[in-house]
Amino acid sequence: VSAYKPFPKPLSRRTFLRGASGVALALPMLDAMRPRRAFGQTAPASTAPKRIMFVFQANGDQIAQRFTATGETTFQFGEFLAPLEPYRNDLLILHNLDKRFGKLPSGSVADNHEQGGSSLAPWPSGTGSYPIGGAMTTIGFVLGPSADRAIGERSLKDVPTLPYQHLVYRVGGNHNDIWNLHSHAGPVGTQSPIPPETDPYAAYARIFTFNNPTDAAAQAAIAKKLAKKQSALDLVLAEAATLETKVGAADKMKLDMHMTSLRDIERTLQSTTGSASAGMACVPTNLGTKIDVFNDDNHEVIGKLFFQISALAFACDLTRTIQFNWSGNTSNRIYKSLGMTQGHHDMSHDSSAPAFQNIRTIHKHLWTQNLGLYEILKNTPDGDGTLWDHTLVVHWNELAQGDTHAINNCMVIFAGVAHNTFRRGRMIDFMNKASYSDMLLSCFQYMGFSDVTSFGDSRLAALGTPLPGLT
Amino acid sequence: MLPFRRDDLRLAVVAAGLALAAAACTGRISGGGAGATSTGGPGSGSGASTGAGAGTGTTGAGGSTQMVAGPQVLGGKTPEAVLATCKAPNPGRSPLRRLSNAEYRNTVTDLFASVPGIVSMVPTVTAQFPPEPVSLGFRNSGDYLDVPTLVAQKYLDAADAISTAAAAAPSFVTCANGTKDATCAAAFVSSFGKLVYRRPLTAADTAQYTALYQKAITSGYDFQTGIEWIVFAMLQSQQFLYRFELNSTPAGAYATPSPYELATRLSYLYWQSMPDQALFDAADKGLLSTQAQLEAQARRLLADPKASRLLEYWNEWLSLDALSEMTRDPKVFPNLDPNLPTLLQQETYAFVSDLLASPTGDLTTMLTAPYTFANGALAKHYGMTGPTGTAFVRVDTPGRSGVLTQGMMLAHDKATRTSIVRRGLEMRTEVLCQIVPAPPPNVNITLDDASQANLSQKQRLEQHRTNASCAGCHNLMDPIGVVFEGFDAVGRPRTLDDSGQPVVTTSAVDSTQDANGPVADPTALGQLLAKSDEVRGCYATNTFRFFYGREVEAPDACSMARLLVDFKSTGYNLKELLVGLTRTDAFLYREVGP
Repeated sequence: VSAYKPFPKPLSRRTFLRGASGVALALPMLDAMRPRRAFGQTAPASTAPKRIMFVFQANGDQIAQRFTATGETTFQFGEFLAPLEPYRNDLLILHNLDKRFGKLPSGSVADNHEQGGSSLAPWPSGTGSYPIGGAMTTIGFVLGPSADRAIGERSLKDVPTLPYQHLVYRVGGNHNDIWNLHSHAGPVGTQSPIPPETDPYAAYARIFTFNNPTDAAAQAAIAKKLAKKQSALDLVLAEAATLETKVGAADKMKLDMHMTSLRDIERTLQSTTGSASAGMACVPTNLGTKIDVFNDDNHEVIGKLFFQISALAFACDLTRTIQFNWSGNTSNRIYKSLGMTQGHHDMSHDSSAPAFQNIRTIHKHLWTQNLGLYEILKNTPDGDGTLWDHTLVVHWNELAQGDTHAINNCMVIFAGVAHNTFRRGRMIDFMNKASYSDMLLSCFQYMGFSDVTSFGDSRLAALGTPLPGLT
Repeated sequence: MLPFRRDDLRLAVVAAGLALAAAACTGRISGGGAGATSTGGPGSGSGASTGAGAGTGTTGAGGSTQMVAGPQVLGGKTPEAVLATCKAPNPGRSPLRRLSNAEYRNTVTDLFASVPGIVSMVPTVTAQFPPEPVSLGFRNSGDYLDVPTLVAQKYLDAADAISTAAAAAPSFVTCANGTKDATCAAAFVSSFGKLVYRRPLTAADTAQYTALYQKAITSGYDFQTGIEWIVFAMLQSQQFLYRFELNSTPAGAYATPSPYELATRLSYLYWQSMPDQALFDAADKGLLSTQAQLEAQARRLLADPKASRLLEYWNEWLSLDALSEMTRDPKVFPNLDPNLPTLLQQETYAFVSDLLASPTGDLTTMLTAPYTFANGALAKHYGMTGPTGTAFVRVDTPGRSGVLTQGMMLAHDKATRTSIVRRGLEMRTEVLCQIVPAPPPNVNITLDDASQANLSQKQRLEQHRTNASCAGCHNLMDPIGVVFEGFDAVGRPRTLDDSGQPVVTTSAVDSTQDANGPVADPTALGQLLAKSDEVRGCYATNTFRFFYGREVEAPDACSMARLLVDFKSTGYNLKELLVGLTRTDAFLYREVGP
């Protein structure tokens, strides 16, 4: 049992180079190498943008096995969270949050997998054709935007040239339904799920151009393409404005959304990644040989590629907000590389000890993969530090635990220095008196959007304020 | 491995005249149409709608909103009785429909059919279109298809590639006097624009494209670039990507679509694509105004090779598209044909195509046919003799029962074994249109308890059902699924099950409106289902959902009654049901919403 040191002594550069810790050698920019401020001291304002990245893994975990010891700073990770130990000083563990879906009237709430899959969008669900666990009724998608979308929209307000409001990625799944669509466009009162990108190669090609030729002919070709696109978008937008006046209210909303999408594209026409003004880390990345993006056996590689693309999108300041999903909710991926033969969701319904061992093994595996994201962020220079300094990673799950479909006792982990917004290295037990939507308000707060004082349906808020005690 | 396709749990809507208790899977179903207590359209609030024109959503007995669909909108009356009361047209909702991905591909293929090099590039340039959200088991819902940023970007990319290639094709634009100038470009805008917008262009439409052409020219670009810009913009116009219906006469609650709008309804119904020249001509001449004219066009379109595109309905209804995700453990199923998923899809396509081409192709045959279609590779897989080569030919298959026992239906199993549960689920949801809930919390849904290693899957499920929390739902699924145990997880006949015990297929169906009873094997089950009004109503419901792109809702009682009366009067003929889609208020009229 290692003794916990709440205020680790800063490592000297020399100590680091001597290899005082095998782990440290793998971590070129350990937080402990930086001058440490006393808590309460105001951090020097970084001019780097604030970024947020939501990272999803499915089917709940095992509540009782998350930690072997609790306590704000004396907590000890259990088996499947153990890979996080080297990063604990940059983590803030939000324990025992409640999703409160039961506060919504029946008929406007899906089962906990489905509703939980849209936990970032704390709204009632609309009518639709999806079956609900254990009930003879059906349900549709949530009736409002998810936090990644809402934060993206709010970012755009501050930075009108920001190319992408948000990016949405998912590993696997070549169909879209209530079990794997976790991002929603809104507006409030409408079902409008956003399809994620599932092919990292196409996702990379879509947003990165790195095309800044110096010869006149190539420049002319780019100008011509730009003129083609701009003039077409002008025409289509002008035509759409006329069409809107000719259709009913419901169809008009559909056309409105389309126009918003066209304006999104319009903004991206002007952005050229890799230009001199972009960050020094905004450089082309080789994604390697293409592999089958829908083969579950490839999930580790596909996830890592999306991590690389995400970091690059942040480094190039193409977006401030990313939603990444290791799978859809209720995922029945078979983790063959872990020696499993049964689907994840199928096993999650089983309360037996062997089944829970498998669930822990899967989550330990995914948490280990998540460290790859941390490393990429730590290794990507950004302004006066690295992306790790300027990003909040929010880890979430549709459930707390699979066999019971529990939606209280949920765990969210904030990872990253995130502009020193939060006091890290801690676990806070909210004892189910705070909710997921309160947590989402804290995300808005971190982004600097203090004008956002509520998000989601009020019945899903427990406090109606950002989570207390985080800063 | 085959992922658990959760949209197999789809089509979750109660069937004719039934009001299922809101309690979880009691398996008990009260009869009578009086239970039609609530309606709730799938589009209520979806995509862009906040529920305009959707159902009212009153509260059911269990305190939950319950969907009502299909023949249940008849309120327990016979279709004939309902039809007798139908007077003023009631078309139901007509949500603005975006082209589905399949419709986009077909439309672009037809639009550029005569331009070398374009048709072959369509699959590539549309490969990255995000899959549409599934609703009611289909991917073409008018309520859910919209254009989020990613979709708009993919439309732009496809239009960019197509417009560049088309404008560069020498034969694409022919100028009357041989002079590539603004006059020629304007003529192109009118002629090509009519095909893209699926109606003659107005002066305003034309002006925006001629202005675009001028912009290209004044920017120093050439004629070809001007054409390229026009095509690029047209392919991103909302008038191309959505099927607008703006005709508003006669004034009132409903309107009659314009001749061009009707031509478009017809072509997307049967070809999943744009109208052809004959339909444009008919619209030009006003020859799409009578029921007889519309029906004649329907029959013409159905006889055309392009009608093969409506196989997309079977593709989505029977989840043939999920076959691509099928994997089988090579230790259990060695030496499978690597193209098996495609072969199984083609089998069903060949079988259905034959039914549609035959004057006697009916629902009964679809559910009971003791024959199927196979080519050499599939015959080898099934262990049949006869077919050789690549073409699919008819093969007698005693003991099989139409689509119910085709490989595709049996291939939604597990990687190592059959799944009695999933097979039963498919029958309940896809053939009977019943709700089967997703598994509730606190139930073990795996069947691999080591203590039961010596039991067959059937026996394990019987034990599973001794648990009351499992029994409710599994009583719906397992007894039907058991009937198919004579086929393995890749659709081949067998006499021993996965545990090595002799296959037992005798079972009994219950919890249906009119298909309850003992069944000995799939053939007996097929006969039972083929005689069921519940099954017939479900089939008509699915047809309505896919072809009209939305759920059957309360105002659709007359349209549903019309479909069912005609379906019955033609002996449940599949092709006639498709023709009958042109006779309903939902097809002939359009609701004029707020």
